[in-house]
This record gives sequence, C-alpha cells and structure tokens, in this order.
Amino acid sequence: MVKTTRYHYILRILLVFLGINAVWYAAALLIDMPILPRPSAVYESLLRLGYAEMWLNVGYSLYRVFAGMLLALALGLLIGLLMGRSAFWNRLLDPVVYLTYPVPKIALLPVVMLFFGLGEVSKILMIVLILIFQIIISVRDGVKAIPGTAYEVLSSIGATALHKFWHVTLPGALAVILSTIRISLGTAISVLFFTEIYGTEHGMGFFIMDAWQRLDYPGMYAGILLFSLVGFILFLLVDALDGIFMKWRRY
Amino acid sequence: MSSSSRNDGLRIQGLTISYAEGAPALGPASLHIPEHGIYTLIGPSGCGKSTLLRAVAGLLPGFVGDITYNGQSVHGRKALIGLVPQSYGLLPWKTVAANLRTALAVILPGRKRKEEREARISRWLEAMDIADLAGRYPLSLSGGQQQRVAVARAFALLPEIMLLDEPFSALDAMTRETLQRLFLENWRTRPVTALFVTHDVEEAILLGEKIVVMAPGGRRELDIIDNPVFSLKHEDKRSSAEFFEQTKRIRKVMREQW
Repeated sequence: MVKTTRYHYILRILLVFLGINAVWYAAALLIDMPILPRPSAVYESLLRLGYAEMWLNVGYSLYRVFAGMLLALALGLLIGLLMGRSAFWNRLLDPVVYLTYPVPKIALLPVVMLFFGLGEVSKILMIVLILIFQIIISVRDGVKAIPGTAYEVLSSIGATALHKFWHVTLPGALAVILSTIRISLGTAISVLFFTEIYGTEHGMGFFIMDAWQRLDYPGMYAGILLFSLVGFILFLLVDALDGIFMKWRRY
Repeated sequence: MSSSSRNDGLRIQGLTISYAEGAPALGPASLHIPEHGIYTLIGPSGCGKSTLLRAVAGLLPGFVGDITYNGQSVHGRKALIGLVPQSYGLLPWKTVAANLRTALAVILPGRKRKEEREARISRWLEAMDIADLAGRYPLSLSGGQQQRVAVARAFALLPEIMLLDEPFSALDAMTRETLQRLFLENWRTRPVTALFVTHDVEEAILLGEKIVVMAPGGRRELDIIDNPVFSLKHEDKRSSAEFFEQTKRIRKVMREQW
C-alpha cells in the first residue's frame, strides 16, 4: 500500500518533468531563437561539461550552503535555547530579533561585502544571515512548547540540569529545526546565487553567469538545470533526515 | 532518629504556601500518610490540591512547614518520588520504552545497570498491559495509553512516594475505570506510600484508604475521612451499600465546606 503510493508519487514527478520538457521543446520551436535552445541541445551541453568541472562547481556551491547552514544552526541553536530557557535573555534579545527579522537580508549583501570582502566569508555569512533568524525563533518557540510536566517528572527524581537539557530541551529544539531548514533552504539557495556572481571562479552562480556572458546559452541552461538539481538533492536530503528523526510526529 | 519515625511514612506539618505577592495560597495544612498507605485528596479546582502535591514533589522551593518521609526531609532526595501528572509528561520524540529509560537513567545511571533498567521497563510495561506499545511514539497513542505509560514510568522507578495529580481525569469513563483497576492491582503487588489527587468523588472512594477533603483555598484544616469501601474487592465496590453511604458522606462534607 505504502509502496504503491510512493511508486505513484515518483511516477507523477517524472510525468511533470517530462511535461515541462515538452512545453520547453514546443516553446523553443515556436520562438526559434538562440536565447531559448531546445532541451536536446541543453542536455548535450550538460553531457559535454565533464565530471571534473561539474563537480568542482557543484561542490563549491554545496560547501557554501553547508558551511552557512552549520554555522547558522550552531549559533541559532545557542541563542534560541538561551531565549527559550531564560526569561532574562528572552527579554533582552526578543526586541533585537523582532526588529531585525523583517529586514530583507539580501539588502545587506553590499554591507557584508564591504566589511568582509568578496571572498568566501561574505558568501557564507549571507547564508548564515538568511537562516539564523528563522532558526532562533523556531528553536525558542520549540523549547517553550515543551510541556512543563516533562521536566517535573525528572526534577522530582533529582535529575541533573545536564540530564534534562540532553533529554528534554535539546531534542525539543531539534524537533523544530528540520522544518525551519526546509522553509529557509529555498531562500538560502537563491542568495547563494547572488553571492556567487562576484569574487569567485567556482560555484553554480558563477557558472551560469559566466555562460551567459559568453553567450553560451545551452551552457547557461545546463547550469540552471544543474543548480536546480542541487536544490532538489538538498530537499531530498532534508526529507530523508525528516524520515529518520521526525518519525514521532507522523501520525 | 527514633525507631518510631523510621517507618513513619509521609508527614506534612504546617505546610503553608504563599503566592509571590505574599497572599496565602494554601495552608497551614497537615497530613500524615503511613508507610505504604494510599490516600486520595479531593477538593474543588483551584483549592490548592496540585500545589500541595508539587510541594511534596519538591517542585515548589518556597514554602513554610515540614515535609518528611520516615523522619527525614523529602527534599534531601533520600526518598524517591514517582510523579504521575495529569498531562502525562511524556516526551513526544521518545518511544514509550525510551520515555521510561530516560527516567530510569537518572536513578540507575551507568552502563553496568543497563540490564536492570531494561528489566524494569519490560516488567512494568507488561504490568500496565502495554508491552506491545514499547516501540511506539506518544503522539500515536490514545490518552488512556499515554497515561498507562506515565503510570508504568512511576512504578518502574520503585519510588518511596507516589504522587498522582488527577491522572485519569481527562479520560473517558470506561478507560478511567480500567486504569483505576489496573493501577490499584499494581499498587497492591507493590504497595507504595501514595497521594492521589482527584476531583471525582467516586474515584476518591475507589482508590483511597482514607479520603482527604480540602476546602476551597485550602484555608481550613484538612478533613480526613475513613473509607471502609477500600477493603472490599474492587469489582464489588461500586455496587456495595458502603459505596453509596460513603458517597453521601463525602458529598455532605464537601457541601458543608464549600
């Protein structure tokens, strides 16, 4: 039963993929200009890329996303836990988060570039900026949502603060992190594209813009496809983690 | 310590609890439950039943008075407390067995005692008839099943004192009756000094050796009423004449107080 629904799901995705290609093919025939090559030409150019070049660019992009994500997780978890567990820190930091949350982080890109240069630091920092506020807020709310009685049972038998943190607070915080990542991952990938336009010779953003400047349109579309694939794989990864760690919620 | 206080049971003396603003919330209340005795505490909502329970559990730091078990303060952590909260207090991201394991790891730490922990888990899941749910997550269980887990967890600690805070009040009537019977059976196989808070007169009569009636606001001495029903066979309790007599009596006390 479960197997057939999953099979159908994959089949539907494949059908949609083929459908998009069909529309694309029709549009390419209709427009008949080099700015919209046919799917076949793009796939051909994708194959011509060569593994070394492909993986170098994909690898750089993935490295930046993961580095930014890990940093944002570490910092966001720390601040979120502080705010969730301590009324003092919540009072102190809540206005800060409240005021900075609505600032469109991409607008800070020039500032970050001015302060941290055009290298890796500013690229990773932008991703951190995008993710961290979401993580702080969801961790704080996740920790606050843990029932007080869960602590009380352990407190009444003399559990140490560390035991309670390890078994109650931390899992409670982690429980909400995956859904936050799922939501903010899309934004993080978009921002990654912007940061890869400048100061680098690697990464999917660079690859796409480089092909565009060289008027290599099949190459540009191949890059877009590859970048989409990276995003898709990241989403599958989040799904897989969800399947492992979020079993308790699926009822 | 005199020999008489060694098996003294749970003794609450002059317990007074105030709100943060200084207004009295409860007390002074005094109560003595002999070792391996089970008393039910009944009172209207907001009278301070849960507050009293939390004070005994060591969850309220600010109170005046003495709470001792067998002559020693309960908050020296000498007496182990098994708490069964109304809202179960289970961790949703841990399986049923892991919920018990988390609590047992506090009192039986270390790798060497793993076997003992696991043995207690299977013993008490079995006793509460939920051995087949060991690998399930709390969110997939019904309220009754979750409360069975919470009761199993409290028993598995083999506590000196068991504190139950309206554990069955959110359950439907049939489930509640089953759990009352199951709880009492397990209590009889391993008697533990227990205070059972409820707002249900029938439950108070079915489960308590004595019934403690608390006035609204807890500003009066507690009434402690003998309960002849308790010594009857559990299945016969509800239909017995004593049960009806006792119901009338408790209701009368409550009417006078409230």
